[in-house]
Amino acid sequence: MTQKSVSPAAPVGASPVPGAGSRRLAAGALVLLAAALPLAPVPDLFITQANYVGLYALVVLGLVLLTGIAGLTSFGQAAFVGIGAYATAYCTLTFGWSPWITLFVGLGATGVSAWLIGTITMRMSGHYLPLATIAWSIALYYLFGSVEALGKYDGLSDLPSIGLLGWDLGGSRAMYALIWLSVGLSAWGALNLLDSRPGRAIRALHGGVQMAEAMGVDTARLKVTVFVIAALLASVSGWLFAHLQRAVNPTPFGLEASLKYVIMLVAGGMSQVGGAVLGSSVMTLLQDQLQVLLPRVFGSAGNFEVIVFGLVLVLLLRFAPGGMWPAVGRWLPTRRIAVVPEAKALARRTPVPAGEVLLQVRGVQKRFGGLLAVDGVDLNVKAGEIVGLIGPNGAGKSTTFNLITGVLPPSGGEVQLRGQRIDGQAARAISRLGLARTFQHVKLIADMSVLENVALGAYQRARVGVVAAVLRRDRRIEASMLQEAQRALHRVGLAELMHRPAGSLALGQQRLVEIARALCCDPALLLLDEPAAGLRAFEKQALAVLLSELRDEGMGILLVEHDMEFVMKLTDHIVVMVFGRKIAEGSPQVIQTHPAVLEAYLGAAP
Amino acid sequence: MNAPLFQIKNFGVCYGQVSALQDADLVMAPGSVVTVIGPNGAGKSTLLNGLMGLLPSTGEVIFDGQSLAGMGTEERVMAGISLVPERRELFADMPVIDNLLLGSFRRHRLREKTPTDQLDWVYDLFPRLKERSSQLAGTLSGGERQMLAVGRALMGKPRLLMLDEPSLGLAPRIVQEMLDVIGGLRVHGVSTLLVEQNARAALALADHGYVLENGRIVLQGPAGELANNPRIAQSYMGMTTSDAVAAADATN
Repeated sequence: MTQKSVSPAAPVGASPVPGAGSRRLAAGALVLLAAALPLAPVPDLFITQANYVGLYALVVLGLVLLTGIAGLTSFGQAAFVGIGAYATAYCTLTFGWSPWITLFVGLGATGVSAWLIGTITMRMSGHYLPLATIAWSIALYYLFGSVEALGKYDGLSDLPSIGLLGWDLGGSRAMYALIWLSVGLSAWGALNLLDSRPGRAIRALHGGVQMAEAMGVDTARLKVTVFVIAALLASVSGWLFAHLQRAVNPTPFGLEASLKYVIMLVAGGMSQVGGAVLGSSVMTLLQDQLQVLLPRVFGSAGNFEVIVFGLVLVLLLRFAPGGMWPAVGRWLPTRRIAVVPEAKALARRTPVPAGEVLLQVRGVQKRFGGLLAVDGVDLNVKAGEIVGLIGPNGAGKSTTFNLITGVLPPSGGEVQLRGQRIDGQAARAISRLGLARTFQHVKLIADMSVLENVALGAYQRARVGVVAAVLRRDRRIEASMLQEAQRALHRVGLAELMHRPAGSLALGQQRLVEIARALCCDPALLLLDEPAAGLRAFEKQALAVLLSELRDEGMGILLVEHDMEFVMKLTDHIVVMVFGRKIAEGSPQVIQTHPAVLEAYLGAAP
Repeated sequence: MNAPLFQIKNFGVCYGQVSALQDADLVMAPGSVVTVIGPNGAGKSTLLNGLMGLLPSTGEVIFDGQSLAGMGTEERVMAGISLVPERRELFADMPVIDNLLLGSFRRHRLREKTPTDQLDWVYDLFPRLKERSSQLAGTLSGGERQMLAVGRALMGKPRLLMLDEPSLGLAPRIVQEMLDVIGGLRVHGVSTLLVEQNARAALALADHGYVLENGRIVLQGPAGELANNPRIAQSYMGMTTSDAVAAADATN
């Protein structure tokens, strides 16, 4: 059974690293072996166990996407399994519908309820989602147990078996095939999703919401989508479960079952598709062995395995927070994203003629309570110009930056991008109009490759939905996006590092990756928040050369920077802020000797 | 100069591979005010955090004849060093008095009696804090918060007070008020290491000054002389080192 656990993690579509051919072959052989298992003369008990592992794996796979990758916690997955199971039980028994129809009834009911819970809770911050899912789980458990039509706590029994093209899939060996086909397809779909435009955005949800919004991602909507996907996988598991058991009752859909799914998730490896299968296999086998062994050890009957599960969880979180998957995953072929050189280029924005005003900030204000952090600042950025925004600490530069990029709404004044009002608009809408930015504290997805991080920048230049990504109908546009990302990396001189995880790069390189990602948005205006901070002298030099080239190509650049030498050498125009107000502007030469600027930096002359 | 109260030699701090401060040498006489000035990002806060033991550092630090090598932050506080961090880091949901008493936490643990003398002294220095002693720290104005941060540091009975940009975000009049109090600490036997971006105000107060640029001390001298050195303005305004050296040579 542990052999089978590797099957869904076989590299799908991604080209392997040269020399990994034998590993790829071995992985393929394991899949075949797993498929042939029910034909072999193994004991029935073995097949039954494998069936349950598959059912759990489906649910845990949803949790991998939701919790491991998107960073959203749900303690209510068992309730969604319950909806899938009860929907098919009720409809097949009451109306005599085919299980193939009731599958979709269950999916529909699950999807609607998950969408409702998600829409209500995702827009709130903090711990509302986990709490809401716990409440949901408890409420549904008692609902199942008290509705007459659902058989109260006795549940419903004598469900029909699933038939397919005249075959009866009633036996456990036939169900094995159906269950593991479902697991395999779901894992394939999940891997496809992760290697796509929406997948990269999902991977950014965990800790990168502000960055994703700046790349044009509607993160609130995407969170609901992931929540619905996880619920649908649970619903499929419930449908299979109902027809495997031929009976349903509320017990397997309670809070305790939900917690068990979370433990399987942590044990397998939170953010790994293969970890879902590994975690459910190991925990199922462990539970089985312990239920026999522990009562003998303690000399009395009882659910002692719960204690061991608790211990296992604590030990895993302490010593192997990545779960068990890393130990297995290193024997598998390394996945590497291939860039197709002949891919069709993405459409580009019509270039703005040099000298045209891109950004116009007029009397913009920001009030925090009684404090006027930005007080009537005016500034312009033209195409083909680098403007520096400087000032002592606490002058309001970052706030001004946030007002322009849509992170904060201004309290007064207006901001125009190429003649269009953008003040008060969401960051993602502003990004679509041609404004790209970098962050003062680098915001990259550390465990994702440099290439994919940069490709996130091209998010709003293509339209690929979740369904197309899961079914792999996005390969042509995906190739174009990756090629665009590669070109941007060439531009900043990091093409040879594109397959490395972004987190493994030095800070200076990470800042360049952020610029490459911004370039991937095809911006007319680039906003850089302290691009030179933490860079070594030669890196600053290279950055200055790159930015000058971009200016010469007609891009407008606005940068906030503390490194005066860098600013004075690079910019065409400087705006100086102190205490929320603009006190001076002009060429670097003018600013360097401007009395008000000197006073702002050095203090009042004695 | 008498035996120095505080001396650092060859001091350096790295963030990973990036060196933020290197080869820093600095000496402080007892009862003096020494200022370290420099443009943003020069490494001023890094210097103080390294000296306080909040960042791993290399080189020698000697306080009152005793090496601080290997000492944790708490031990340095016990030895008589206090830091007022750049962001003040007050406990916004606690009243002023509790914030102050936390400053004497370590001494309290040693069963020293309730620090009323110390508290009276701090209230003497900052009468405004006494007026507001039961008010929550989060409701204070910017200047009062800075007073509270300094007052809290003084509750630990330091002999060396390190201040990280006390003028940050404060109106010029309040900055002057603040600096006057700091200058007055000399007579109470408290020496001050003042890190400031506001070079002119800091040099007007200090006895001796050091200029930090790109993680290195590039200039030092008596504060009065340093105040007239054009190199400082050039350093702040990003004129390159070679230009600035030439300009400084020309004026001297």
